[in-house]
Amino acid sequence: MIEQLLSDLSFFKPELTLVVTFLTAILTDLVFRRSPVVVAAVCLAGFALTGIFILGQNGEEALIFGNMLTVDAFAVFFKVLITLSAILVLVFSLSSAELNTPGRSLGEYYSLLVALTLGMILMAGATNLLMIYLAIELSSMTSYILTGYTREAPDSSEASLKYVIYGGLSSGIMLYGISILYGLTGTLDLYQLNQVLATGDINDFTLLIAGVFTMVGFGYKISAVPFHFWTPDVYEGAPITITAFLSVASKAAGFAVFIRFLKVAFVDAGAGEVAGGFWTMLQGFDWPLMVAIVSVLTMTLGNLVALWQDNMKRLLAYSSIAHAGYLLMGVVVMGNEGTAAVLIYFIAYLFMNLGAFYVVMLIANKTGSEDVEDYRGLAARAPFLSLSLSLFLISLTGLPPTVGFIGKLYLFAALLNSGWIWLAVVGGINTVISLYYYVKVFRNMYLREDEEKKGRIEVGAAQLATLVVLLVPIILFFFYFPPIVEFAQASIRIFGTP
Amino acid sequence: MDLFDIVFYCFALIAVGSAVVVVFSRNIMYAAFALLFAFFGIAGLYVLLQADFLAVTQILIYIGGILVLMLFGVMLTNRVVDVDIKTGTLQIVPAAILAAVVGGSLSGVFYSTWSTVSGTPSDVATTTPAIGEMLMTSYILPFEIASIILLVALIGAAMIARRKT
Amino acid sequence: MEFFIISVIKIVIVLLIILTVVANLVYVERKVSAAIQNRIGPNRVGPWGLLQSPADVLKLFIKEDIVPSTANPFIHSLAPVISISVALVTFAVVPFGGSVELFGHQVKLMIADVNIGVLYILALTSLGVYGVTLSGWSSNNKYSLLGGLRAAAQLISYELSLGLSIIGVVMISGSLELDRIVEMQSGFQWNAFLTPIGFITFIVASFAETNRLPFDLPEAEPELVGGYHTEYSGMKFGTFFLAEYANMITASSLIVTLFLGGWQFPFLETFGLPAMMATVVQVLTFVTKVAFVLFFFIWIRWTIPRFRYDQLMNLGWKVMLPLALVNLVITGGLILAGLF
Repeated sequence: MIEQLLSDLSFFKPELTLVVTFLTAILTDLVFRRSPVVVAAVCLAGFALTGIFILGQNGEEALIFGNMLTVDAFAVFFKVLITLSAILVLVFSLSSAELNTPGRSLGEYYSLLVALTLGMILMAGATNLLMIYLAIELSSMTSYILTGYTREAPDSSEASLKYVIYGGLSSGIMLYGISILYGLTGTLDLYQLNQVLATGDINDFTLLIAGVFTMVGFGYKISAVPFHFWTPDVYEGAPITITAFLSVASKAAGFAVFIRFLKVAFVDAGAGEVAGGFWTMLQGFDWPLMVAIVSVLTMTLGNLVALWQDNMKRLLAYSSIAHAGYLLMGVVVMGNEGTAAVLIYFIAYLFMNLGAFYVVMLIANKTGSEDVEDYRGLAARAPFLSLSLSLFLISLTGLPPTVGFIGKLYLFAALLNSGWIWLAVVGGINTVISLYYYVKVFRNMYLREDEEKKGRIEVGAAQLATLVVLLVPIILFFFYFPPIVEFAQASIRIFGTP
Repeated sequence: MDLFDIVFYCFALIAVGSAVVVVFSRNIMYAAFALLFAFFGIAGLYVLLQADFLAVTQILIYIGGILVLMLFGVMLTNRVVDVDIKTGTLQIVPAAILAAVVGGSLSGVFYSTWSTVSGTPSDVATTTPAIGEMLMTSYILPFEIASIILLVALIGAAMIARRKT
Repeated sequence: MEFFIISVIKIVIVLLIILTVVANLVYVERKVSAAIQNRIGPNRVGPWGLLQSPADVLKLFIKEDIVPSTANPFIHSLAPVISISVALVTFAVVPFGGSVELFGHQVKLMIADVNIGVLYILALTSLGVYGVTLSGWSSNNKYSLLGGLRAAAQLISYELSLGLSIIGVVMISGSLELDRIVEMQSGFQWNAFLTPIGFITFIVASFAETNRLPFDLPEAEPELVGGYHTEYSGMKFGTFFLAEYANMITASSLIVTLFLGGWQFPFLETFGLPAMMATVVQVLTFVTKVAFVLFFFIWIRWTIPRFRYDQLMNLGWKVMLPLALVNLVITGGLILAGLF
C-alpha cells in the first residue's frame, strides 16, 4: 500500500507543487510583509512549475491514491486551462488599482489564489464523490474569502456573504444527493457506481432525486439556472481579477467534473465504441433531456436579463451565465463530438472572457467606474482599449473574425449532427439576443460623445503587452484553428470509459 | 423488541425531539441547548452501531468545540439572546412539495436497500486503529485536502477578523 | 447481571471515597496554606480542626438557596450539576489498581474498561466548560457573565495543549486504553521521563482546566467578585466548590495514570508478594502518588501569583500549543529512531 502511494506521487506533481507553493507563499508573506510582489513572484513561479509538470503528464493515464484521482487527457486539458487562467489572473492582479491600495496586505490574496487553483485542478481529476465534494468545497471556500477581499467596499462583503449562503445551501443539497447515491449503491467510487447502476437493480425515482440533488452542486459551480442567483452579485462585488478567474476557471472546473461524473458513472461501460462517438447512456435517467432543459433556461435567462444591465461587471456576469448555457448544449449531445466542442469553446472562452474583464479593469483603474454609461466617447480617450474590448465582445457574440466564431461553429455542428435541431435553433436565437447588449457597449464607445471632455486614458507598456497576449489568440485561432481543434479532440479521452 | 431496540428508540427520540426543538424554539439559547441534546442522541446512536471512535469524536468536536463556540457567540452578542428568531411559515407550498419529494426519496432508499442491511452490526473490538490506518492509506488524499481546506478557512477567518489598518 | 452488580458496587465505593476525600481535601488545603503563610489554620472544630469540613458542609446545606429574580432558574440549577458530574464521571475510566480475584470473579480495579479511554477523557473534559459558561450566563449578572466567558475561552485554549500532550503518551504506548498505558509504564519507564515536555504541558494545562491558581481567572476575586458563581448560594455554591476539588482529584489521577506510572509500584513483581497483597500495594501506590500530586496542586496555589488575562491567553496559544506540538515531533522522532 505504502509503495503504491509513493509511486502514485509521481502522478501528483502538479498538485503537490501547488500545495508547496501555497505554503511557501504563506511563509514568504510572513518574511516580506511589506512587499507583496515577492509573494506574487513565488506564486507565479509555482504556477509556471505546475504548468510544466502538467504538460509533462501529456499522454499519461493512471488512477491514483485508491481511485480518488485520475490523470488522463481530459484532466490534463482542464488543468492546462485552469493554470493558464491562473497565471493570467495573477498578472492582472499586479496592475489592479482596486487591489493595490495602500495599507492592504496582498500576501493572503496571492496564496489563496494558489489554493483556489489547487481546488479547481483537483476538480478536474476527481473520480470519487468524496474527492469531488472536497475539491468543490476547497475551491468554494477560497472563492468566498477572495470575493470579500476588498472589505472596505460595501458590495464586496455583501457579495461574499451571499456567496457563502448560496454556496452553503447548494453544497448541502449536493452532499445530500451524494449520500442518497451512496445509500443506493454502497459506493462513492464513480467506476463502481457505474457497475452497480449497470445492474439496473436501482430504484429509478430515488436515482432521479439523487441525480438532481448532486447536479445542484455542479450547476452552482457553472452558474446554471436555477442555481445562478449568486452570480451577478458576486461578480459585481468581487475584485475584477477574481470575477474574471471565477467566470473562466471555476466554470471550466465545474464542467470538467460534471462531464466526468456523467461519462464515468452514467455511460454504459460495456457498450464499447459506438459509431459517431455517441455515448450509450444507462437506462433509468434521461440525462440529455434534463441537461437540455437546464441549458435552454440558462442561456435564455442569462441573455434576457443581460439586456437590462448597465454595470459592465453585471453585464459580463449575465453573459457568462448565458455562456454556461451554450456550453451545456455541447454536453447535451452526450458524445465525443459534443465534448470536443465544449473543450474548443472553452479555449476561446478563456481568452475572450479574461480579455473583456481585463479591459474593464484597466478602464476602471483610471476612471473608477464600471458603468456602461461612462464608456461614452471612450474610443477617443483610449482607442486601443476600445478596439480590444470590441474584439473581445465580438468574440463573445460568436462572430468572425474571432475565435468565438470557431467555438460556436463546432458547438452548433455537434448539435445538428446529433439531431438536436430545436436546441440549436434556441441557441441561435440567443446568440442574436446577446448581440444587442454587446453592441450597446460598442455604441457607447464609438458612436456617442461624452459631454464633458475628459483626458486620454494612458496604459502602461506591461499592461499593453498583456492585452496583446490575449488579443493575438482571438484573431490567430480564427484564421488558424486546426491546433486548438486537434488539441481538444485529443483531450476527450476519459480514463476507464469507452 | 429487545433491549437494543429500546435503547435505539430512546436515542432516536432524543435526537429527533431535540432537533424539532432546535427548529421551532423562539429563544436562540434554548435552541442551542436542544442542539446539545440532539448531538448527544446522535453520539448514542453511534455507540449502538459500535462506532465508538465516531461517538466520542462527535462529542469532542460538536459538543465540546463547535457548540461551545456558538454559545460563546450568542452570549457575547447579548442582543441576539432577546431577539425572537423568525420561525414563521413562509413559502409553505414549495416547502411542503420539497419535503414530500425528499421524504419520498428517503423512503425509496430505505425500501430498496432494506433487504441488504444485515440485522446487527458486526462485532468489532475498537474501530480506532482501522480508521487511523485508512486515513493514512486509502483515504490519504481526502484527508490531506481536508486539512488544506481547514487551513484556507483559518486564513479566511483571521483575515475577516483582522482589524482594519 | 453479574457485571452490572459488580459495576454498581465499584461505582458506589469509588464515589464515596472521592466525596470523602474532597471534603477532607478542603481541610488539607487550609492547613497547608496556613503552614505556607506561617499561620495556624482551622483549629476550633474538633481535634486539630478536623471537623471543620463537615461543619462547612452542614452550614452550606442549611443556608438559604437564592436564585436571582432575573436569572434563568432551570439553567441556573443545571449548571452546578453539570460541573460536578463531569468531574466525577471522568474518574470512571481511571484504573486505580490491577485486576484482582474477588469471590471467584476477576475484577478490574477501574469502573469502566473503555477501550478508547483517552478519547473518553478528552470528550468529557471538553464538556466541563458548559458548567461554568452556563452558570455565568444564566445568573444574568455581568460579573458572572464575564467569568463564564473567561472560563470558556480559557478551557478551550488549554484543552488543545492538554489533548496534544496526551497524544505523545498514546504514541508511545500505541493504545487508547488507560489500562494498557499504565501497564506500559512498568519499572521506571514512566511517561514523565519519556516525554518530559508533554508532562510539563499536561500539568500546566491541567491547572488551567481545573481553574486553579495561577489560572483561576474565571473567579478572580479582585476583578470579578466570585466570577461565574457570584450569584450562587447554599448547596449550589457548595456543589461548585465540590466540583473544583473533584476536578483536582480527577486531574491528579490522570497525571498519575498517564505520566507517573499509575498504580505500578516499580519492580513490585520481583518481590514475590501474594496476589492480594500486591493489589493492595498497587492501590496504595496509586493513592500515594495522587496525594503527592494533590499536594503539588495546593503548594503551587499558595506560591505563585495569578496571571493577567492576556498573559494567560498568550501562554496558552503562543507557548503551550507550540511546545505540545514540538513534543509530538520529538516523540515521533524518538519512536522512529526505535528508542522506545
